[in-house]
Amino acid sequence: MDFTLSEEQTAARDLAEQIFQGSVTPERVKAVEATDERVDRDLWAALADANLLGLCLPEAVGGSGLGLLELCLVLEAQGQVVAPVPLWATVVLGALPIAEWGSAEQRQAWLPGVVRGDVLLSAALAGPGTNDPHRPPVEARADGSGWRLFGLSVAVPAAHVADRVLVPARTPDGVGVFLVDPRGPGVTLERAITTNREIHPHLLLDGAPGEVLGSLDAGGRAVAWMVDRALLGLCAMQIGVCEAAVRLAADYTSNRVQFGKPLSAFQGVALHAADGYIQTEAIRVTTWQAAWRLDAGREATSDVLVAKWWASEGGQRVVHIAQHLHGGMGADVDYPVHRYFLWGKQIEDTLGGASAQLARLGQTLAGAA
Amino acid sequence: MTAVAETSETAEQAAFRDEAHAWLEGNAPRRRHDSSEFKRRVAATGPEDEQAHVEASKSWQRRIFDAGFAGISVPRDYGGRGDTAALERVWRQEVVRYEIDTGVFSVALGMVVPTLLAHGTEDQKRRFVPPVLRGEELWCQLFSEPGAGSDLAGLTTRAERDGDEWVVNGQKVWNSFAHLADWGILLARTDWDVPKHRGITYFLVDMHSPGVEPRPLRQITGVAHFNETFLTDVRIPADQVVGAVNGGWGVAQTTLMNERALIGGASPLGFRDYVELARHHGKTADPDIRQRLAAAYTRFQILRWLGQRAQAAARSGQALGPESSVAKLVISDHSAQNGDLALAIEGAAGMLSGRDAFESGFWQQQFLGQWGVRIGGGTEQVQRNIIGERVLGLPPERRPDKTEPFRSIPKNA
Repeated sequence: MDFTLSEEQTAARDLAEQIFQGSVTPERVKAVEATDERVDRDLWAALADANLLGLCLPEAVGGSGLGLLELCLVLEAQGQVVAPVPLWATVVLGALPIAEWGSAEQRQAWLPGVVRGDVLLSAALAGPGTNDPHRPPVEARADGSGWRLFGLSVAVPAAHVADRVLVPARTPDGVGVFLVDPRGPGVTLERAITTNREIHPHLLLDGAPGEVLGSLDAGGRAVAWMVDRALLGLCAMQIGVCEAAVRLAADYTSNRVQFGKPLSAFQGVALHAADGYIQTEAIRVTTWQAAWRLDAGREATSDVLVAKWWASEGGQRVVHIAQHLHGGMGADVDYPVHRYFLWGKQIEDTLGGASAQLARLGQTLAGAA
Repeated sequence: MTAVAETSETAEQAAFRDEAHAWLEGNAPRRRHDSSEFKRRVAATGPEDEQAHVEASKSWQRRIFDAGFAGISVPRDYGGRGDTAALERVWRQEVVRYEIDTGVFSVALGMVVPTLLAHGTEDQKRRFVPPVLRGEELWCQLFSEPGAGSDLAGLTTRAERDGDEWVVNGQKVWNSFAHLADWGILLARTDWDVPKHRGITYFLVDMHSPGVEPRPLRQITGVAHFNETFLTDVRIPADQVVGAVNGGWGVAQTTLMNERALIGGASPLGFRDYVELARHHGKTADPDIRQRLAAAYTRFQILRWLGQRAQAAARSGQALGPESSVAKLVISDHSAQNGDLALAIEGAAGMLSGRDAFESGFWQQQFLGQWGVRIGGGTEQVQRNIIGERVLGLPPERRPDKTEPFRSIPKNA
């Protein structure tokens, strides 16, 4: 890719930034965090009104039919303000796989609602002690013409508000992906709070009815496809988180006077901040490259792994730098910078931290040689 | 478990170690790496938990005093045991192996007592040291201000003389346990027309005085032991100045060096705790985790030997010097890496927080608590400057704020 945004992409980014920055303030994030469900419903409605939820969904379901790169720009804008909305869960984990792998009926049943902002979705990609969705902790057993699911998925983002959760599960014929109603029979949700203070409940399935996404024989490929996009989405949010964290640190150290001059005039501070900027740009180029390859239909798994590794490794360096340059303010939860630190850590560890990505990347590269 | 002797231990030290070990065995539960009271306590963040922590600290400190192990290197005149710093170190090595909690006295024992012994008047030492050793009076530190952090000497809390008293006005921040403390050590500006380091005075302030208002700050770890403290027309008797009026900066150096030595050194977590964590999560065969454990082991060793070298220097009569900055930097890095290691070991489960996480979020707190270690007592950058200038002798930066009258130095709005 040439890394220059098209007019459409620039417009999508500007619109997303306008909505996120126009409505999300640290006070509002704090207020939403104090509610039971911790989801900013008004912001969600505003995103739907601007058709940002359907940005990369097919025009047939009311979407705009744009690509992953455009979606990444929206996720980046979310990361900049650490907005408490289930965008990654609904669009990346839920809607994209339904659009790609679902039957025509499934697409019609769920996607127009996603575009309108009425339907929330998620996917269960982690089990206890495992981040490998190709060996899911859930088992599907045939029951007449349908399936019933058994097992425990941990930390399913936004499962407490989702209308459907996509659950990869083992069947006698390999892994399949199933649609599950998290409020239906045979499902217990156990509320769990994660590093960034979001609610990612554990999903205990004990005979819950599951509807096959599309057809069973696509299962394994669908899971790999989902994981690539899930990782990409995390990287995109991390760009926004890191970009904003560096900007906050630059502003703070430029305004705070110590030893008779702004803190940022000290080389120890300036060099640190510049390092943070460099890492952030590295996350951006690796993420955009992966998005572009996925959009172009090229093999992109190693590009995605490079991006996620750097979003984890470089990303945590950036949020450490930003937190550090804020001194004691970083430890005070009344001041917003700590949220970037928590989000950066959460994104780093979601679906496997730096070493897990490196292990997979090494396997991909060495296996290909 | 037997008492672990150090290689170069004298007969006196060995005898004392046996004595300490015998008392601890008879009076306190041993700390276990697989299930620790200490971890549960750290992870408990409610106000009732805090009160229980204070009570437990007071009661332990009193028992330690009654057994003759409080203030081991503090002269007998002030309630101590009158022994050497080497024996004090032996005690610390032994006591961390047990579930003994004197955490809220860390400022009093680790910072206030050494400062008073070095700079206090005879009356001050007799009045203030014994109640700390007996576990009766809690202390806090009132140094940092919203506008004076790394540049502590840029503080603007003002003290003005009025007869036999000083009247203090200003705001302090990051004051551990200020809302629980009986007494505070306070820095305030008493002369605005001299360079900043020469116009500061060191006070002992009664935290129950009218006009002292601590307000707890909720921290990223979920606890609220920090405060911002507002001081409005607080009156302090003139005999509660430590050292000379306008000579407080020198006195503060003793406190700060002891604070640096204290930070991080207080954690009873050892290498074994990380191995146990890996074992519990079934990660001991994971090659990446094994490498990181090996690196952690190396860091623990480096810190241990650095500590021993500093103690050896202390034994031979050298004052605690800028070398404490080296230890503080190593501990900063150690603390950051250990936090990451713990969460990496926990894997996906490491993303849970608070009570949803393993051991009620103790390890998440270790991760988030790294900032207290890295920022408190002077940031990594401040420590590097100290090493550059005072240890390596590099030419100092041109610093007009050191020589011009404080009144004319640019400050935060």
